[in-house]
Amino acid sequence: MQLNPSEISDLIKKKIENFDAQIEAHSEGTVVSVTDGIVRVHGLSDAMQGEMLEFPGGSYGMALNLERDSVGVVMLGAYQHITEGDTVKCTGRILEVPVGEALLGRVVDALGQPIDGKGAIDSNLSSPIEKIAPGVIARQSVDQPVQIGLKAIDSMIPVGRGQRELIIGDRQTGKTAIAVDAIINQKGTGIKCIYVAIGQKRSSIANVVRKLEEHGAMEHTIIVVASASESAALQFIAPYTGCSMGEYFRDKGEDALIIYDDLTKQAWAYRQISLLLRRPPGREAYPGDVFYIHSRLLERAARINAAEVEKLTDGKVKGKTGSLTALPIIETQGGDVSAFVPTNVISITDGQIFLETGLFNSGIRPAVNAGLSVSRVGGAAQTKIIKKLGGGIRLDLAQFRELAAFAQFASDLDESTRKQIERGQRVTELMKQNQYAPMSVADMGVSLYAANAGFLDSLEVKKVRDFEAALLSFMKSEEPELMAKINQTGDFSDEIKNGMHSAIERFVKTNTW
Amino acid sequence: MTELATLARPYAEAAFKRAKETGSAGKWAEALQFLALTVQDADMAEIVNNPRVSKEKIQQLLLDICRDQVDAEVINLLKLLIQNGKLKLLPKISALYEEYKAQDEGYVNVDLYSAYALTKAEQSKYVAMLEKQLDKKVNATVSVDKSLIGGILAKAGDKVIDGSVSGQLHQLAKRL
Repeated sequence: MQLNPSEISDLIKKKIENFDAQIEAHSEGTVVSVTDGIVRVHGLSDAMQGEMLEFPGGSYGMALNLERDSVGVVMLGAYQHITEGDTVKCTGRILEVPVGEALLGRVVDALGQPIDGKGAIDSNLSSPIEKIAPGVIARQSVDQPVQIGLKAIDSMIPVGRGQRELIIGDRQTGKTAIAVDAIINQKGTGIKCIYVAIGQKRSSIANVVRKLEEHGAMEHTIIVVASASESAALQFIAPYTGCSMGEYFRDKGEDALIIYDDLTKQAWAYRQISLLLRRPPGREAYPGDVFYIHSRLLERAARINAAEVEKLTDGKVKGKTGSLTALPIIETQGGDVSAFVPTNVISITDGQIFLETGLFNSGIRPAVNAGLSVSRVGGAAQTKIIKKLGGGIRLDLAQFRELAAFAQFASDLDESTRKQIERGQRVTELMKQNQYAPMSVADMGVSLYAANAGFLDSLEVKKVRDFEAALLSFMKSEEPELMAKINQTGDFSDEIKNGMHSAIERFVKTNTW
Repeated sequence: MTELATLARPYAEAAFKRAKETGSAGKWAEALQFLALTVQDADMAEIVNNPRVSKEKIQQLLLDICRDQVDAEVINLLKLLIQNGKLKLLPKISALYEEYKAQDEGYVNVDLYSAYALTKAEQSKYVAMLEKQLDKKVNATVSVDKSLIGGILAKAGDKVIDGSVSGQLHQLAKRL
């Protein structure tokens, strides 16, 4: 639809007519110093903490340090044109960002402004970035699953709707890959995804966007970007921006998934701002409240009960719970999970997925260390079928780990030990999965059942994945109703079990892998 | 770096309290303003800020200038400032003293900017409006600022009340 020129001027004329010119009262201060993105403003005696301040030239800053005679302001955006003596105005608004459905499919910066070149965002709803997390009474315990689509995770370290599960590992171990696979797997589930990129290369972010578009996952995703070349202030607030956008869906009775990639860089950005604001440095030069920046962010990821949703939507949505699931990512240095920020975030989240370089390099991808990874929600957030079959997998791998040292002497061991080692090797091989290929519940169920029932024991280890791939395509063509039924109900009744067993037996007879 | 205002505040508070005790608030105000202007004068500032010049010399120089103009107690304050090396705070001390005096006597200094020269009647009308708004007696200083195009702009310390045409155009631009 095109507007013709007269229509445009009519719209403007209408706006001018309805413009209610009021006498405006505000507070003003003067710039005393400008250094490295921090501006000291003299005056502004009634500035609020976190308030947006307007600078000449349309720049905005956030008031962070409220001192007796001056205010320490961190600039959001360009500050090169600001000089000593410039006037600064209070806006009376705490920092807010646009939220709503209009953001889905878009790439925005930390202030909610679009950067994908697809035009302005048509949303008149906005929300402050700092909000208080839901109270204890407003919450409901987590019992619905979020299917990540990776066998290693969904079977042994399941994630539920409303849980916070940390993805922690060294650089280049596949942390972002897990996150992207999780987003791709949410297609068609009704879960809206938000990917917050903090301090990353723009080329990496462009790659992620492209991959999501290729797999049709952009329609249900919002991408918030504060790349490495942007100011520390924007890198600091980007996670809160994403969280506000996710809370919009949570408070409406819908489910959302938010990924913070990664919080280590947000902690670095906050450290930079705090040191420039001359706040006293603590351990590893982080300021004293580095725990608080993460805890208040992650506490907002929760599942709220139906009564709370009804209250928040003024009675429009009844009987539905809302949830925001968080997958924060932390990068460790040299595998040191006992450093300051990693231990902080581990104590905040409801479990962690621990990725190891050693496993990654030996070909086990996703490089999940099943022994150290944990999900504190566990079986309550699993579909029945995966819960029943996942237990066997976990046990096999645990026993294998104990005997791992003896794997080299395979021929000199007794029968039962040798069997355990062989089963462990095959299950480990089965847990490997290609990138951008998340699996449905039915596919996963069939794979795990094949492992549990011993169908893999007679195969060579290096043939296990070919077997799995061929089995799954066989099930897709020969037993589509069974697969559809499992995907729909997630049940593992005797009927389904027998159906699966006989189907796999038939497949084994065909010998086509 | 601590603000000058923070450093000057104890001196200003002490001066004001003493002035209230002796009931000579007005005289102190004038004396402080005089001292502030003296110290800011170009030649004087050069001498005062010169680290080579000894404190005794500065004291002698300033006392020679001020002895007849200000009271004994103000001279004591001056000596104290010289001793502590805080002479450059004098303008700030004077400003803060003014604020305390204004707060105590219930009036506020307002800078009124108008695009065109105001008649006496208009001026008193605006002053009355501001007094009602700020709930204090208003001491208005009027000046002309053509860039406002029309209307008036009032500044009282940090607060700015913008009734000018340029301000309204700015609001309209933001809205559009």
